[in-house]
Amino acid sequence: MRLIGILVIVGGWLIAISGLFVTNSNGVRAIIACAGIAVTIFGILKVLNGYYLERAIWKK
Amino acid sequence: MNSLKTRTLMLLAVLGLAATFSFAALLRAEGTALTDKDLSSISASASTDEITAKGDPGAEFTGTVRDVTVSDSAKGLTLADLVNQAGQNKIAINFVWTLVTGFLVMFMQAGFALVETGLIRAKNANHTMMMNFMVYGLGLFAYYVCGFAIQMGGCAPIANLGGVYPLNHEQVVTLFGKPWGLFGTKGFFLHGATYDVGIMVLFLFQMVFMDTTTTIVTGSCAERWKYSAFCVSTIGLGALIYPLFGNWAWGCGWLSQLGVNFGLGHGYCDFAGSGVVHAVGGITACAVAMIIGPRIGKFNRNGSPNVIPGHNIVLVLAGCFILAFGWFGFNPGSTLGASGNGCLRIGSIAVNTMLAGCTGSFGALLYMWIRYGKPDASMAGNGLLAGLVAITAPSGFVNPLAAAVIGWIAGILVCLAVEFFDRVPKIDDPVGAISVHGVNGLWGVLSVGLFADGRSNYGGSWNGVAGSVKGLFYGDAGQLVAQLIGIATLLGAIFALSFLWNWLVDVVVGQRCNPKAELAGLDLPEMGAFCYPDFQLKTTESTIYASSGSSMALKD
Repeated sequence: MRLIGILVIVGGWLIAISGLFVTNSNGVRAIIACAGIAVTIFGILKVLNGYYLERAIWKK
Repeated sequence: MNSLKTRTLMLLAVLGLAATFSFAALLRAEGTALTDKDLSSISASASTDEITAKGDPGAEFTGTVRDVTVSDSAKGLTLADLVNQAGQNKIAINFVWTLVTGFLVMFMQAGFALVETGLIRAKNANHTMMMNFMVYGLGLFAYYVCGFAIQMGGCAPIANLGGVYPLNHEQVVTLFGKPWGLFGTKGFFLHGATYDVGIMVLFLFQMVFMDTTTTIVTGSCAERWKYSAFCVSTIGLGALIYPLFGNWAWGCGWLSQLGVNFGLGHGYCDFAGSGVVHAVGGITACAVAMIIGPRIGKFNRNGSPNVIPGHNIVLVLAGCFILAFGWFGFNPGSTLGASGNGCLRIGSIAVNTMLAGCTGSFGALLYMWIRYGKPDASMAGNGLLAGLVAITAPSGFVNPLAAAVIGWIAGILVCLAVEFFDRVPKIDDPVGAISVHGVNGLWGVLSVGLFADGRSNYGGSWNGVAGSVKGLFYGDAGQLVAQLIGIATLLGAIFALSFLWNWLVDVVVGQRCNPKAELAGLDLPEMGAFCYPDFQLKTTESTIYASSGSSMALKD
């Protein structure tokens, strides 16, 4: 699960970077970058943190 | 009659000719360059004998031509001597400025130590102070060995510091036809040609910045971080993770070249490090806090958070003042000089810093007062720090009004972020470091892309792109995109790297101390001594009396 989380996080970053190559429009690049950031945050707070929340010390 | 007329005309012609020659001579005199000969007539207004006898209480005779270094005493003072002296004066001013501001930033370590220690419980005070104390040594060592080379090994030239020309090798890969600078390769151990006066100044200044990053993590992981794991984790941050992003943003790496390579404004712009220093620290703090998990007692079985108050608000607010003082080194010092290349903007940068800190604390104070009915002291302090963190990246590019707005938003943002991390992802952050440095570091990076007003001019260009940095509100959407790419990199690449490194530390060393030690307080089990040996300490399970030679040494 942790590796999946890392993959999602890095994937979000790559999405943001990809905007540099697929278009010259700054507006579209900004939207792609925001999408990439959203994926990254999802990976951190939902996927990766979800793994640790399941095993949280206060649930034991 | 004719002869009189002729004589008059001749006289007029002679006078006219004389006037013409005089005017030409005057013009020539004004346009003539100084020569070494002209300098020989300049002498000091008092002899050394006179000064020896009377002194110079009015500073009339100190700092004269006598103080200009003459390269050849046989020739006397030459123009070359004057020009060299002017160049050395400029670099000397910049060296002194950068060093003194670096010393201020170093002193921020004391501020961080006080803030973090004040915000945790008394039973962990020694442990927290010792983490803050040792980040200095551990981080410095790691940065000296390889961090500086990775970050700044290819950053030359830096005109304000005399060029630092030996730092001239950046490892670059070409992808999709564009060069991507990844890391520097000159300056390991500061040996060889990097034993250079300008590079020493740059090293000191960059080192204290890196140390700020490493000390952020100790706050979010306080009260449960095993000391040995902290040491290893800090070395990795100072040796690799921080320098890598530092290179991409400040060392001629790929983020700084987004303007040159992709036409995105002036590339990623981060004047003094909201992203490089604070967001890297805050994001790493988030990764480590996630791995370590929350303190025992922070969350109830149903997941609701408990407030665990700090033990000394005096330390917290005194620390905040020290940090605010040190920030006058952090931001204005990032010009790397006070003379030339637009460095006179240091006054504006200092005022922006002051304003954002002020409005940040004001925003947080008001938010807490309105929401909870009381002006919370620790959150007012965190608001001040949040404003300062947020203005760090834009401080060199925005006007005072924008600085005040950025700080105000930061002050409110930090309160919202603290509540968010407690309630939604349930990441325990005893001092609010993730909210102060991570969230507001990212806000600072974004704010450059919004508020940069295009009025700054640091030598006519920034990151190799001519002209001044402009944000979206001043007509450059490309700059905003560059900043968004920077944020994505911080959250994607730097978080992933920090997480992987600290995961490895967790597997090899173990990040979290044992529960018994945590409940009793880490001072005795981890450090072998109490911070307050004569005080009565409250622990979760029982009350113990701390005293020297205590028999309460805890076993696993």
